[in-house]
Amino acid sequence: MAAAASVKAALQVAEALESIVSCCVGPDGRQVLCTKPTGEVLLSRDGGRLLQALHLEHPIARMMVACVSNHLRKAGDGAKTFIIFLSHLLRGLHAIPDQENGSLVSENSQTLGRHWKNCCRWKFISQALLTFQTQILDYVMDEYLSRHFLSIFSSSTKERTLCRNSLELLLEAYFCGRVGRNNHNLISQLMCDYLFKCVAREGGFEEMFELVGDCFVELNVGVTGLPVSDSRIVAGLVLHRDFSGYCPADGDIRIALVTETIQPIFSTSGSEFILNSEAQFRASQFWIMERTKAIMKHLQSQNVKLLLSSVKQPDSVIFYARLNDISVVECLSSEEVSLIQRVIDLSPCVLPQASSRCEISNTAVVKFCKPLVLRSKRYVHLGLISKCSFAPHCLVLCGPVQGLVEQHKDALHGAFKMLRQLFKHLDLNYLTQASDQNYTSSPLIYKNSRESNQLPEIVNGSLQRPYQGTVVKNKDKLAKPQTYLKVYSNLVVPSIELEKHFPCSTPKVTPMDTYQTNETLRCLSPNKTGIIDYGEPFPESNSANSTTENTRIKISYENLQVTKIAGKGSMLPVRYKSREMCSSRSYCFSSIPAGSVLPVGGNFEILLHFYLLNYAKICQQSEEATVGVIVANALLGIPKILHKSKKGNYSFPQMYVRALHALQSGQPMGSRQTGLESVVGKYQLLTSVLQCLTKILTIDLVINIKRQPQEICDQDSEEEL
Amino acid sequence: MSRLEAKKPSLCKSEPLTSERVRATLSVLKGIVTSCYGPSGRLKQLHNGLGGCVCTTSQSSALLANLSVTHPILKILTTAMQNHVSCFSDCGLFTAILCCNLIENVQRIGLTPTTVMKLNKHLLRLCISYLKSEVCGCRIPVDFSSTQILLCLVRSILTSKPACMLTRKEIDHVSALILRTFLLTIPENTEDHVILGKSIIVPLKGQRVIDSTVLPGILIEMSEIQFVKLLPVKKPGSLKVALFCASLSGDLSDTGEGTVVVSYGVSLENAVLDQLLNLGRQLVSDHVDLVMCQKVIHPSLKQFLSMHHVIAIDRVGVALMEPLSKVTGTRPIGSLGSVSPSTYGSVKDWCTAKFGFKHFFHLIPNEATVCSLLLCNRSDTAWDELKVTCQTALHVLQLTLKEPSVLLGGGCTETHLAAYIRHKTCNEPESILKDEGCTQTELQLITEAFCSALESLAGSLEHDGGEILTDLKYGHFWSVQADSPSIVNWSNLLSRCGCGLRNSQEELSWSFLRSTCHPFAPQTCLPHEAAGSANNLTLDCFTAKLNGLQVAVETANLILDLSYVIEDKN
Repeated sequence: MAAAASVKAALQVAEALESIVSCCVGPDGRQVLCTKPTGEVLLSRDGGRLLQALHLEHPIARMMVACVSNHLRKAGDGAKTFIIFLSHLLRGLHAIPDQENGSLVSENSQTLGRHWKNCCRWKFISQALLTFQTQILDYVMDEYLSRHFLSIFSSSTKERTLCRNSLELLLEAYFCGRVGRNNHNLISQLMCDYLFKCVAREGGFEEMFELVGDCFVELNVGVTGLPVSDSRIVAGLVLHRDFSGYCPADGDIRIALVTETIQPIFSTSGSEFILNSEAQFRASQFWIMERTKAIMKHLQSQNVKLLLSSVKQPDSVIFYARLNDISVVECLSSEEVSLIQRVIDLSPCVLPQASSRCEISNTAVVKFCKPLVLRSKRYVHLGLISKCSFAPHCLVLCGPVQGLVEQHKDALHGAFKMLRQLFKHLDLNYLTQASDQNYTSSPLIYKNSRESNQLPEIVNGSLQRPYQGTVVKNKDKLAKPQTYLKVYSNLVVPSIELEKHFPCSTPKVTPMDTYQTNETLRCLSPNKTGIIDYGEPFPESNSANSTTENTRIKISYENLQVTKIAGKGSMLPVRYKSREMCSSRSYCFSSIPAGSVLPVGGNFEILLHFYLLNYAKICQQSEEATVGVIVANALLGIPKILHKSKKGNYSFPQMYVRALHALQSGQPMGSRQTGLESVVGKYQLLTSVLQCLTKILTIDLVINIKRQPQEICDQDSEEEL
Repeated sequence: MSRLEAKKPSLCKSEPLTSERVRATLSVLKGIVTSCYGPSGRLKQLHNGLGGCVCTTSQSSALLANLSVTHPILKILTTAMQNHVSCFSDCGLFTAILCCNLIENVQRIGLTPTTVMKLNKHLLRLCISYLKSEVCGCRIPVDFSSTQILLCLVRSILTSKPACMLTRKEIDHVSALILRTFLLTIPENTEDHVILGKSIIVPLKGQRVIDSTVLPGILIEMSEIQFVKLLPVKKPGSLKVALFCASLSGDLSDTGEGTVVVSYGVSLENAVLDQLLNLGRQLVSDHVDLVMCQKVIHPSLKQFLSMHHVIAIDRVGVALMEPLSKVTGTRPIGSLGSVSPSTYGSVKDWCTAKFGFKHFFHLIPNEATVCSLLLCNRSDTAWDELKVTCQTALHVLQLTLKEPSVLLGGGCTETHLAAYIRHKTCNEPESILKDEGCTQTELQLITEAFCSALESLAGSLEHDGGEILTDLKYGHFWSVQADSPSIVNWSNLLSRCGCGLRNSQEELSWSFLRSTCHPFAPQTCLPHEAAGSANNLTLDCFTAKLNGLQVAVETANLILDLSYVIEDKN
């Protein structure tokens, strides 16, 4: 069974998904109830979770869901917007009449069937989209949009101090889209308090986000049966279990951590214990008991009042611990143990096997250690004294049903992910275009996948041969005197997709030179920390005149050397522009600074819409302009949904016109919304959607296989082929 | 090899509340809980066709635990109620009915969920701040120097559970017992924070309720043979007690993961038994009089101990360990090695007692906050119901100790609150309108829905077709018997309001509860003497009712907010 994949089919799928997610988007979104096969009931407004709960069957839908979850892993937010944006883009593409893109289809493909023609057309569009994503988007972001960015930090100096007010606004806007309408204020306030309580010292936010993000499950306790408003923060760490033996203690309390049973056992696995007489048995039992007693005595003499154990201890250990006024907590999970280790820097005690004397030096002081009763369930409450920049606090999340508590947990966890992204710089690189480029008047976009695979290897080994091959290959195609634009996808750094554009009119000469420059680039790459990538797009002049070309290459070569020095001199080349290069394109490296935010409620979309339209106007290349317009219009879908329920002056058309007017006259955009949202998140979302769309467009057939999935073994399949 | 199976796609339904099926099931649930509510509520017989015993009940905890609901929305509702009940024991039906009423009323209006939720939450805030405020007209502060109010509270709880099958006299007896039990768990010399003791409910089915009693200390049930054996040992005075949590049965302890090779002729059992007897000898030489063990005592050791006039009781069970160590002041011994004298405890006295057909060993403590409540009732199901009711009452008393106030019961709180909310939103709507950004009409509609949900909740206390009135001064709840002459002087026909605080001879005017009357300001500020004078009030737990109110409104909001239901069919 094979079905032709088309934009139409993808659009239908996307629209079906859109109708579900659009009801939960934005501050007016509603809840969705999911049941699990186990009978549990879950409330959710989390797009990713909803899409997964649907267990979709349609292959394109499954691909979309896979793309969404890929994006979520990275950014932690934006699943609903993803689907809405995608379906708007597909709608825009679907609406393009055939003729408009007719110029893109090369002549030799016209003999093929209609479907294949269509596929080619979509493939070209997908190429154009990719170009758009990698070049124009970054350019527009950096050139135009960046002037609108606000920062979440109160000062722009090196020491970034978090502005509480803006953080509150950011979190409130985030939770508006994630939790029930009556609770978002409460939850965002709780999270904000939690953040500021947890930070032990100035500027320790990044470390704290990392730790809390990793160990969030251990840092919260869910309580059902109480109203949500009873949720609170407790100082210290709450372990999700009760004491095995509890002895109240005050003052200087030391704790010790063990990972094995304290009481020696007769025989460990793999060994044999031979009993020859009853007396021997009695003696060994006596020794075991005495030893347990001795260890406990020793712990008491060290002032240890609490023993944490990752394994179950025998009853007699707990008995002797109680005799020595030591409380015991058993069966800690490995996550809890590692959290405790990270916070107070305590390593587990090693119990010597043979000698009866033992030295336990690894102890730590805690402020208190007491049972905590939450809704008739007992927990262990520890007042750890932090040794890192995380001051331990726990969230007690209340709700009438478990499903609601889970929703709040998920939303809080997602918020930490979002903040982690927000606190990172995001790199942008693009090429700025100078006035006229004759060679792109009717370009044939040509992707050589084989070469893209080989390119990274080229740099290391002997390189002449593959290039020669390329030349030969290119020659075949060069029967028509056309310019080829090769797109190399960068395989080394998958997160930032760097495109390598390689325009060459005379392939005979250039590959050699390219190789040399490539090598120089290689040299400077190890010094850089991923901000400037090794695969620096190499600008190649496109003149038909071969005599001038040599000089130009030299010039650009010099330029690259300059880069090299710059790269060595400072590790942070935030913005590098080689405008003086005589080639018509220059490459810019810039970044979205950490903590950039924009007012919520479609501001980002409208801004980008406006600037993309502007860009499309001045852009001569037809397909770039078309793609720009499509993306720009699709962007409007999100503010449209957000303002769906608003009436009168705040309805979408009114707001849109006002915003455009303000932008044209250069005034600041008046926004009624008070929340903030992360620019990085939005940017990542946009790129993810465009990548997903490219993927959808490049598929021509969906083949349905009715067979049990088989184990995939790479080598075997290759041999068979 | 693992079998991979494709997941079935889920079922996705939009706007679940509009579907006819959901509405029908919701109204069935509402019918069930409403008919159970209050002292004259109808009993439900729960009968599982697949086995188990038949249960006759009108309590939310038993009802909701046994009902099997399939629709996810109902599941949310019932689990929310169960969670509330497991936290507060009381006011489960109150919460369930209020939640159902709210959903039903709001659906009838047809406003957007956003407005509904915002306003519902606002009204809830109004209710809570009023109930917590000093001027609240339906809250009575509890004075612990007299037992009057506490007794009324316990009696109200017992009265509202008709499935216990108690007569008025029995209710008085049991409520006095419950209060005594509670008082026995309060330590005498209190420091800065009070740690309450424990009360153990001992079942005694098939006896008259009047035979129920409460005893300080612990009752351990034993067979008649043991009982007869114990009789000659009896000697007055205090006992030295050893309490073991380790097994004294003589089995080998865990030998680890490796192998243990035992040579021919070596008997480990003998070795362990020797160890046990050594332990016995030490106990005897330490003049221990009573040995108790959580697990099993080896018969040889038992024999040895009884030869030396030491009482040995085994299989005590883990549930009794904590109260036992509290009563005797021992530390449970967890090893068979030599016992240090510091772990022994003592009791003041002991005796054997026979209640009904059961024999008990009774430990009388020196001073401890542990007591045993011997609870009798005629039939099994009635006993089960009574036991849950007693636990509820004890829990409610604890909650009252924490938050010393009670609410007026018998529907008066609900009607009073509804009158207050109506008056408040009618007279000063500006602040709400400004805060929440909605129109006057919307506010009026939601207020009406909210208040009528409260009022019909109070109205569901009446099951015999009587009329329900409210007075226009206090906003209390009055019910009048069915088929009474239509136009009469109300003050002659009525006697007391639902909670029993107000008398009909106080120059009041009444109106029917469900009629649309003009909003009036119910009189706030309870006069102090009113609370003290009346001795037969119907009262409700403050903490439980407050939480029930919040949970009901939050759950209703949650259900009203649902736009899709995705059912995983795997």
